[in-house]
Amino acid sequence: MRAMVKDGIAIFAPQGFLDGNNGNFFLSIEDIEATTKLKVDMVLVSLKKVVFFNRNGLETFVKMLLKVRAANHATVGFCDIDHKKFEAISRFYENDLNFSLFKTQEIASLFAASFKNQSKNVLVYSEDKSQRAAMAIELHDNGHNPIVAQSEAEYHEKAKAQNAYDIIIDNTYLGVMGQKVATRVTGNAIIYTVSSFLDAEIGNTFNIAYHNNSLNVGFRLFIFDAYKVVSMNVHALNFFSKLASSGAEYNAAICFVGLTFEKTPIAFKETLEDAGMLFFDHMDDILQNKELLHELGASSAAAVKNKRALNKAIVTELPNFIDATVATIEMMTNATANKETAKVCTIEIIDKEDKIASSIGFYGDIDGMVVLVFPLSIAKKACALLIGENTDDKEQVLDTLAELVNIVGGKIKTLLADEKISVNITLPRTYTDVDGLLEVVHDKKGVQLDLKFDDDKFLFFLTR
Amino acid sequence: MITTEKLNSYITKIPPAPQALRDTLHLLNLGDLTKAAKIASDDLALNSYLKNLMHKSIYGFRNEVSDISQIFGILGVAGSQQAVYNYMISLLSPSKWVLFKLNATAFQNLQAELSVNWKKILAHLNINDKDIQSAITLLPASIIISEALFSEKIENVKLLRSASAIDLNTILKRLCGMDLFDICEKISQKWEMQGNIAKIVQAASGIKPQDDKNIDMLGKWMHLLLFYTLSKPSLVEAGLNDFIDFQVEYVMDIYDDFSSVIGVS
Repeated sequence: MRAMVKDGIAIFAPQGFLDGNNGNFFLSIEDIEATTKLKVDMVLVSLKKVVFFNRNGLETFVKMLLKVRAANHATVGFCDIDHKKFEAISRFYENDLNFSLFKTQEIASLFAASFKNQSKNVLVYSEDKSQRAAMAIELHDNGHNPIVAQSEAEYHEKAKAQNAYDIIIDNTYLGVMGQKVATRVTGNAIIYTVSSFLDAEIGNTFNIAYHNNSLNVGFRLFIFDAYKVVSMNVHALNFFSKLASSGAEYNAAICFVGLTFEKTPIAFKETLEDAGMLFFDHMDDILQNKELLHELGASSAAAVKNKRALNKAIVTELPNFIDATVATIEMMTNATANKETAKVCTIEIIDKEDKIASSIGFYGDIDGMVVLVFPLSIAKKACALLIGENTDDKEQVLDTLAELVNIVGGKIKTLLADEKISVNITLPRTYTDVDGLLEVVHDKKGVQLDLKFDDDKFLFFLTR
Repeated sequence: MITTEKLNSYITKIPPAPQALRDTLHLLNLGDLTKAAKIASDDLALNSYLKNLMHKSIYGFRNEVSDISQIFGILGVAGSQQAVYNYMISLLSPSKWVLFKLNATAFQNLQAELSVNWKKILAHLNINDKDIQSAITLLPASIIISEALFSEKIENVKLLRSASAIDLNTILKRLCGMDLFDICEKISQKWEMQGNIAKIVQAASGIKPQDDKNIDMLGKWMHLLLFYTLSKPSLVEAGLNDFIDFQVEYVMDIYDDFSSVIGVS
C-alpha cells in the first residue's frame, strides 16, 4: 500500500479489519522505504474505512510512522478517528502515545506547515491541559486564531455558536507532547492515583524512576489519591514506608488522601506516619489550603549525598535541548532568539528581580534536568498566547510556564527519539522566584546558555 | 485501454453450465440430493473439486470425506448448490494471476471463506433460500473477470492508481461503464439465477441501495462479509483489500451483530 500525497500530507487509507494477522500485509518494506523518502510535512494513517482494529493491527503502521519521523522529522499519526477510536487508541498506547491523533484530515492540515489556508478561527478542547496548550501554540504558529476552552462545559457552551468558528477541534492529540504519568496541580504537587487492593504488585506498577526524577527536578509534595483503595497489605506497607523514607532525603512530603481503614489495619497508619507519611481525608484539605500547600511543597535544600556530574552523552545532545527550547519560546513569544554565551558552571543568575523559573527532568537512556529562568515579561507574553489576554495573576503565569516547559520537554523527547535515544520526562516544576530554584540547583554543575529574545534575556541551564 | 466491448466479450466467454452441471443444479433445486450426487459423480473434475473443498480447514472435518453423496448430504441442498456454482466459477479462473497475487488454492479458499460465513449469516437472519445462499458465489466470479480485464493493461492500471486514490472498481466503472457488481449481475443473468440475486449483489456494493428493505439488509451483510474476508492476510497481500471502496457508515448498524455471528475478536 502506498500513501497518497496532497498538500504536503501523505495519507495511507487501509480499509476493513486491522489485526495482528493482516497488519503486516498492508505495508511492505518497499512501501515503508518509499514513505521515508517522501518530502512531506505529515504522514497520516486514515482510519475512516477501518471498521475494526486492535493494537497489534495498528502496530505495523505505528512502527512505520516512527521510522518516517526519525528519517525526515515529519509529524506522524492517525486521522479520521471518532470518539470511540480515539478512546481505543489512547487506551492501547496509554503510556506510549508518541504519535498524533487527529479527528479529521481537515484538522490535521491545520497543524501542517505547508497548509496555505490560514487565519482560521479554531475552537480547541482537550481534557489534557498540556494538550490544549500545545495545540493552541501550534495553531498560532501556523497563522490561525485558536480559542481554547478550559473545561468541557465551556467547550460545549462555545461549540453551540457554530458560526463563530471555522473548525472545532476535539478528539485530537499532539504526539510530540510528553506522556501523562501523573497529574500536576497548582502548587507543585504531583498526584498519583492508586486503587483497589494495594499489595506487592505496587512495586511493579508504580513508576519509581519517574518519582525519583521528579524529586531530582525539585518536586517536594506527592499526593496519593487513595479514595478507591479497598485495602493494603504488608507488602504495600513496606513499599510506601520505603518511599516515604527515601523522600525524606529530599525533604519531600508524601500524603495519602481518602484512604479508609475499614479493611486495612489501623496499625499500618501509625507505621506510615512514623515513616513521615501524612494522611488527609479530602483532597481539598490540601489543595484549597494555600498555606499548607506552600508549606508542604516548598523547595528545600536536598541533602543528597551523590551529586551527579554532567557526562559526554548529555553534552553531545546539547544542540537538541537548545533547539527544542528556542523553537518553543520563539513560537510562544513570536520573537527571534539570539544565543549569547554558553559555559559550564553552577547556575549564575545576576539579576534575580522579576524572574520566575521552571524545570523539567528527563530519564531513560540519558538523564538530567532542563532549567529555564524567565523574565516575567516573557512569561506574560506566553500567557497572552495561551490564555488569550494579558494577565497579572502570577499563579496563572506559573501554570502557563509549566505548560511551556512541558512542551519543551515533549520536543526534547521527540528530537532524542529521532536519534534512537529513548527518554521519558517528568512533570514540569515551577518556582515563584529564583531563590526557590537555587535551593534545588545551586550546587549543581551544568551548561548555562544565555539567550536574548528581542530585549529580554532568558536563561537555559542543563544539568543532572 | 479497457472498453465496454472487451468487457462484454469476457462475459460472453463465460461458459454456460455444461449439461451435467445443469442437471445437477436442477436436481438440487428439486431437493433430490441422491440423484444429483449420482449425476455429479460422473463429472470427474467436479468430483475432485468437491473433495478438495471438503478438506479446507474452514469446514473443519477430521476424517476424509470422499463420496459425493456423502458430501452433498453434509452440505445440504443449498450448500451443495453453492458448491456447484463455486466449481463453475473456478473453471473461469486464470492459470496465472497477474494483477491480484492469487493462485487456484487461494481462490478456492476465498470462495470457501465467503460461502461458509454467508451460510452463518443467513442462518442468523433465519433465511433458508438456496438462491440467496448461492448469491455469494458471484463475487469471486467478478474478481476473475476483473483480473482478466486488468491484467492486459497492468502497467496502465498501476500508473493510474499511483496518481490518484482511486479503487480498481471505480477505474473499472469509469473505463467501461460497469463495476464489479454490474459484472456480478451479468453473470447471474447468464446463469439464469433469480432476479433478486442480482439485486442483492448490487446492494452489496454499498452505494446502490435497491429500495427494498430485505434486499438492502442482505446487501449490507454481504458488503461487510466481503470486507471481513478481503481483510484476511492472504487477500490483503493479493491486493484485493482495496479493490472496492468500503462504505463503513453503510454497515455500522449491523456491525455488532456481524461480530458475534462471525466471531470477530
